[in-house]
Amino acid sequence: MDETALIHSAQNGDLDSFNTLILHYQDSVFNTALRIMGDEDLAQDAAQEAFISAFRSISTFRGGSFKAWLMRMVTNACYDEFRRQKRRPTTPLEPDTADGEEMDSPKWLADPNMTPAERSEADELEHAIQHCLDALPTEFRTVVVLADIQGMDYSEVATASKVPLGTIKSRLARARLRLRECLRGFEELLPSSFRLQEEGNL
Amino acid sequence: MKNFRDIEQLSAYLDGQLSSSDSARIESRISADPELTSALHDLRSARGILRKLPARKAPRNFTLTRKMVGLKPPLPRTFSFFRFSTAFATFLLMLTFAANSILPRVSFGTAAPMAAQEGYGIGGGGSGGGCEEPCLPALVAPEAAATEAPSMAMEALPTEGFPSASEDAARVGETAITETPAAKEAGNAAAPQDQPEVRSEALIPASWQLGLLIIGLLSAMTMFSLRQSAIQKWK
Repeated sequence: MDETALIHSAQNGDLDSFNTLILHYQDSVFNTALRIMGDEDLAQDAAQEAFISAFRSISTFRGGSFKAWLMRMVTNACYDEFRRQKRRPTTPLEPDTADGEEMDSPKWLADPNMTPAERSEADELEHAIQHCLDALPTEFRTVVVLADIQGMDYSEVATASKVPLGTIKSRLARARLRLRECLRGFEELLPSSFRLQEEGNL
Repeated sequence: MKNFRDIEQLSAYLDGQLSSSDSARIESRISADPELTSALHDLRSARGILRKLPARKAPRNFTLTRKMVGLKPPLPRTFSFFRFSTAFATFLLMLTFAANSILPRVSFGTAAPMAAQEGYGIGGGGSGGGCEEPCLPALVAPEAAATEAPSMAMEALPTEGFPSASEDAARVGETAITETPAAKEAGNAAAPQDQPEVRSEALIPASWQLGLLIIGLLSAMTMFSLRQSAIQKWK
């Protein structure tokens, strides 16, 4: 995929080129929105809004990391969604099971190749992490999602969240500390492989 | 717990964001300070857990349609010409209707009072003879006055005892109908020439209006077909 050529075509109004870019980035965009929003439906809305905004303002893209620019659209869409939520608070709905009961974990999206034990372990981990992420202030959460989950470097995170590099460093350190504190509370629940995780083993 | 400046340095060190000299400094401190080592371990552990978080696949494609982004098909250059001609022809057509409907009223509105004035002049002053020039509006109006006056006179009859505006109007009617034989003669003589002018007061001929209508419709239809073909090509 020649990203630069696709971006150039999209800047000339070629929607097909932009859709090719969307197919390439949609998983990252959705995951970012999901980790920031903590809700799949809201994340889908935010991702869609982000892509629409991105196409409309693609003429403002002046080079650099396209992913970082796209992530800025996502974070803006998430913040907009948060603002809407504040104005019109709604009760979050979990998807229903076949019995009509609410699911308490997102098993409907789990990898079908996982064994039940692995799936359960992954669910628990995901729940614990998402709970701790949700407990962070939004701006801390955004930074930690972009840096640690999306694997972006500091300058990309700064571009995506429109804050200076120094602020990124500071927010990331605080967010990691708070997450570590929060995850300590789940240590018993977490699978053993996640308890005292060493970077070298990852 | 170390101070936050140390934590920030450790976090940046973990991500390889420190300069080589800062890295060397913090490494020597880490090796000498077990508290810093523990803090680094905590940060590394938190980052490791986040990185281990499974990435979800997007539950659907987020590709955009033209409708979603409000894109419109590129229209040919001639489209704007036809759009302008449609708008202009419609505007002119409306103008002709307006001109044809408003102008006669204006001429009637000015003619009637003058006719009334003339009536007073004739009836009140008794100088019925001087009617060559001033009577022209009255000649234009006789038909209107003749149609208006009887009804006005009939309305005025029951209130005869009260001098009022309606009575004045009745008098005007009477004078218009009965009092001026000279005017009558003049009117009779002039009526055949003037009446057609009064009746066919259309300032803009109907053929012009029809022409404008045809131009407007043709332009609109061409515009529509251009748009449709552009949409078809776009699809």
